[in-house]
Amino acid sequence: MNISMKWLKELIPCSISPEELGALFTVHSQEVARVEALVRAKGLTIGHVLTCRPHPQADSLRVCEVDVGDTVLGIVCGAPNVAAEQRVIVARPGAVLPGGITIEHTVIRGEASAGMICSLSELGIDYKYHHEDGIHVVRESVAPGSDALEALHFDDTVIGLDLTPNRADLLSMHGVAYDVAAMLDLPLTLPHVALETAGEPAVHIRTQTPRCLSYYGRVLKSIVIKPSPQFMQARLIAAGVRPINNVVDITNYVMLETGQPLHAFDYDALDSDTIVVREAEAGETFVTLDDKERTLHAGDILITNGREAVALGGVMGGAATEVTSHTTRLLLEAAVFDAMTVGKTSRRLDLRSESSLRFERKVDPEKTRYALDRATALFIEYANAEIVGDKGYFDDTSNIEPPIVISLEKINAVLGGRYSDEHVDAILKRLHLPFTRASNTYTIDRVSRRQDLLTYQDIIEEIGRISGYDQLPNTLPSTVAQGALSLRQQLRRRIRAALTGLGLDEVVTYSLQSVDRIGRFSTLHEAPVKVADPMTDLHAALIHTPLTGLYDVATHNAARRQHDVNIFELGTCYTAEQETERLAILMSGHHHYYRWQKTPTTDFYTLKGVFEALLDTLGLPAARYEPLRHEDFHPYQTARILLEGTPIGIIGKVHPKTTADDHLGDVFVLDVDVSILLEKSPDHAPYQPLQKYPSIERDLALVCDRTLPAETVLEAIKTQGGAALVHLDVFDVYTGEHLDENQKSLGLRLLFEDPEKTLESKTVDALVDKIVAHLKVTYGMFRR
Amino acid sequence: MDLKQTLTHLESKLKEALKQTDKLETLQDIKAEYLGKKAELTLLMRHMKDVDAAERPVFGQTINAAKTRFTELIELRREALEAKRLEDRLNAEHIDVTLPGPDFRLGRPHVLNRIVMEIEDLFIGMGYIIKEGPEIESDAYNFEKLNLPKDHPARDMQDSFFITEERLLRTHTSPVQVRTMLEQGGRKPVKIICPGKVYRRDDDDATHSHQFMQIEGLVVDTNTTMADLKGTLLTVARAMFGEHRNIRLRPSYFPFTEPSVEVDVTCFKCNGNGCPMCKHTGYIEILGAGMVNDFVLSASGYDPSIYQGFAFGMGVERIAMLKYGIDDIRHFYTNDIRFLKQFST
Ligand SMILES: [Zn+2]
Repeated sequence: MNISMKWLKELIPCSISPEELGALFTVHSQEVARVEALVRAKGLTIGHVLTCRPHPQADSLRVCEVDVGDTVLGIVCGAPNVAAEQRVIVARPGAVLPGGITIEHTVIRGEASAGMICSLSELGIDYKYHHEDGIHVVRESVAPGSDALEALHFDDTVIGLDLTPNRADLLSMHGVAYDVAAMLDLPLTLPHVALETAGEPAVHIRTQTPRCLSYYGRVLKSIVIKPSPQFMQARLIAAGVRPINNVVDITNYVMLETGQPLHAFDYDALDSDTIVVREAEAGETFVTLDDKERTLHAGDILITNGREAVALGGVMGGAATEVTSHTTRLLLEAAVFDAMTVGKTSRRLDLRSESSLRFERKVDPEKTRYALDRATALFIEYANAEIVGDKGYFDDTSNIEPPIVISLEKINAVLGGRYSDEHVDAILKRLHLPFTRASNTYTIDRVSRRQDLLTYQDIIEEIGRISGYDQLPNTLPSTVAQGALSLRQQLRRRIRAALTGLGLDEVVTYSLQSVDRIGRFSTLHEAPVKVADPMTDLHAALIHTPLTGLYDVATHNAARRQHDVNIFELGTCYTAEQETERLAILMSGHHHYYRWQKTPTTDFYTLKGVFEALLDTLGLPAARYEPLRHEDFHPYQTARILLEGTPIGIIGKVHPKTTADDHLGDVFVLDVDVSILLEKSPDHAPYQPLQKYPSIERDLALVCDRTLPAETVLEAIKTQGGAALVHLDVFDVYTGEHLDENQKSLGLRLLFEDPEKTLESKTVDALVDKIVAHLKVTYGMFRR
Repeated sequence: MDLKQTLTHLESKLKEALKQTDKLETLQDIKAEYLGKKAELTLLMRHMKDVDAAERPVFGQTINAAKTRFTELIELRREALEAKRLEDRLNAEHIDVTLPGPDFRLGRPHVLNRIVMEIEDLFIGMGYIIKEGPEIESDAYNFEKLNLPKDHPARDMQDSFFITEERLLRTHTSPVQVRTMLEQGGRKPVKIICPGKVYRRDDDDATHSHQFMQIEGLVVDTNTTMADLKGTLLTVARAMFGEHRNIRLRPSYFPFTEPSVEVDVTCFKCNGNGCPMCKHTGYIEILGAGMVNDFVLSASGYDPSIYQGFAFGMGVERIAMLKYGIDDIRHFYTNDIRFLKQFST
């Protein structure tokens, strides 16, 4: 809503500056988007063109003598529509136009020019408001030398409000005036209308739908279609509405004034003295003002002349009954239509207008009759109208709503303030809310102009905002509770701390991705959860693994020559049944970078080492890895991860064909279920007493078949070694010289301990012999 | 040759031998030669029994003195050689201390999660519990129980991604508040914050994102006031933007709160004097809040004649953008390494 300061001051005489009022609106009412002069120009004068002759040197220019009151100026003008005897807007030397352009004495093709004759566009008034191509010719007979902005009613400032949807009352100047009156504690003066009507209703109104709550119609004759008065045009422009002609402008003007949309039919084209409001049938068609045929849905509100539709109620009039320059008789409509219906219809047909907006947010039913009379008065004054008979109407709006009851104690208990009954009385009076108070209990009548005030909480808001929230103290809730993170939240933080400690950056990626990529890197065999109406194919379904986004991060960075990517995300796998938290890691390029020293390139084992370090720091047991085939991964560098026998995810190298296609180097990824990590993570690991007796270490180099998994050998050794074998590690894997092609040598380090006594060398030797013998028999392994 | 001469002769021979050697290994041989079982000195000692009994003590003392002296000489030489060896080794280990070390950079939590953790910690300190909930929500929890019935015009403010008629991606974390209140059974006080991802139908550009992170807070008790809300939000504003900040509450509208307010913080760039960042108003909008609407309390099992509460919600991206001066919301989701590395832990 754009507020014209001049208009407002007519309704509520006050001397406050627009900036100050804007500041008050911000704190007490609604957010202010802008406070701006309607025309940002200075020093403009009304001039009278005395003579106008062609420029001797240029066909497209005219040289004019312009009377500006105190003197006559010679001005060169390029507009083709300039002519003698016109009243025009003159920017004299020293005048400033929007954009900070200062007008100076100049010489144009040899002719002196003392200023400029202006178009409305040059005053900063958008072309959409006037559609004038040349200079503006002033219609009013204003004396030369007068202030032009004043004469044209452009000496105005606009306060633009960003309205919240509940404040329908602020969609009218009257409503704005009420709020300003409350803020400033001033009386307001709304225009009084007294019409003399007589006789029988000239038009009969019937409705066949409860979606029309009231309908008032008045017939006017002797209409003369012409431009509306300048003050009205200026106010419409200030409000952001394009002036058209007196009929359209008056209906818009009264709508801006009262919040009640009006519609004018050409009464002759209407060709009926009866209006019947009904609901449209599905598939019914109707040609709107813009000459487009609209297909209607059942329930759309139709205004008919008893035979055919003439308007789409609250949304748009019909082409057949449109007011034209030949119109002489009008049917003026002021009605209340169901808010939800108008909202739906206008949205569906993409016909949202100032009118539909007001219906959608609910108009004040007590303003309907007033608006009809107010517009009638303006038609009489500015369109030569004469009233025919009396108005016809139907009105089913009722205002018998129970009053709101609230105690002073409750007001203070909710706000946390210490307001007195005098203070609350004063605020309610300033808001023009009728109330009675018995002791400390208020009974407040509902008012139709504020349909947003329904409950005691709404009244508390009114008291709070008009008093100013800065009046309230700053306290903290007295509710005592123990703040804490849940175990899951704690685990998440520990994972984050561990992985960042291991040099990985955390990322956050989109949950919505394209449908065809959802199954990628996922071991889940489920259809993706799709959004019913995606905005773009890129974000159409919910991910099964954050790896979808992580892979994009790698691609994005590689395209910017950033090949060392070590990232993780704590994200979600979405299926129709549930959401499970996933940890995804992606590593590519180098992990820790050794600069001038030799840096190993990230491989499968780098990622595995990072994951093992994570499990270790979380106090979780070591995971097991089973070779796995998956079409998105390298066939021989991919594994299923198991934790105590439960599959928790996948680790592997992204298929080299895929990474090559995407111009990436080797990419290693992991995706595991965080919930299982949480389930398996111990409350606290029990303390292990430190070993008192010396341990004995033995290294073994054992040759075996190249395909024999190390894990098999390690498990066998652990079983054979028993309790005394406390640690086992692979420190070397060798293939090549001195070995057959299908052989490999494993370097193993074994550590033996006895918590009770010092181990003897021969005991350990016997254990090692037993292990080696077992490996020889079982896997054909032998010492190298 | 008498004993003294012999010993003097031996000593000069030892000195010469020590002088000649520059290896610790040969020093061991010299020691054996002069002090070992077959050394001359040892042999001389064996002659003791042949010496007059009267002269024996002197004889013995003289030889023992020589033995001490020889040992000293050898040890001195050993020390010298060890010092030399150490020096040689150190010389060989000369490095260029100006060369850089390996890049053992630690990773960084994502800046959005960093802000979330900061705010979580602040509220844990004030006795709040951190609650979470599903991102695929029912229309009932996301809208209807929050006083947003179907066809409510305010649903436009939160245009949503529906999956089915009744299920959608949550447009705010408020459904977690509803779930928590229902869990509490309408009797116990509630004091929670709810961080999480939310989704709205916005075209992605520098200031809009179809996915973003939100933190909402809710306190419900018999005596929770708007002044409590104000004090709480002042604490948050100061923790996030500096201890000298102030806040301002402006009337606003949300279907789930009444009264509803927008909360501004005094501009931390110009201290409220006006600058381009605050559009010359001195204030920057940081969150929306209000007193819980009775409808919402009732719908979640709380009797509004006994309980009242406040709620607030903020966009994490917005807080991060303001705090760090980030100019494009898409950076949070593109994850350019150069972006990620900028935020220290
Ligand atoms: Zn500022």
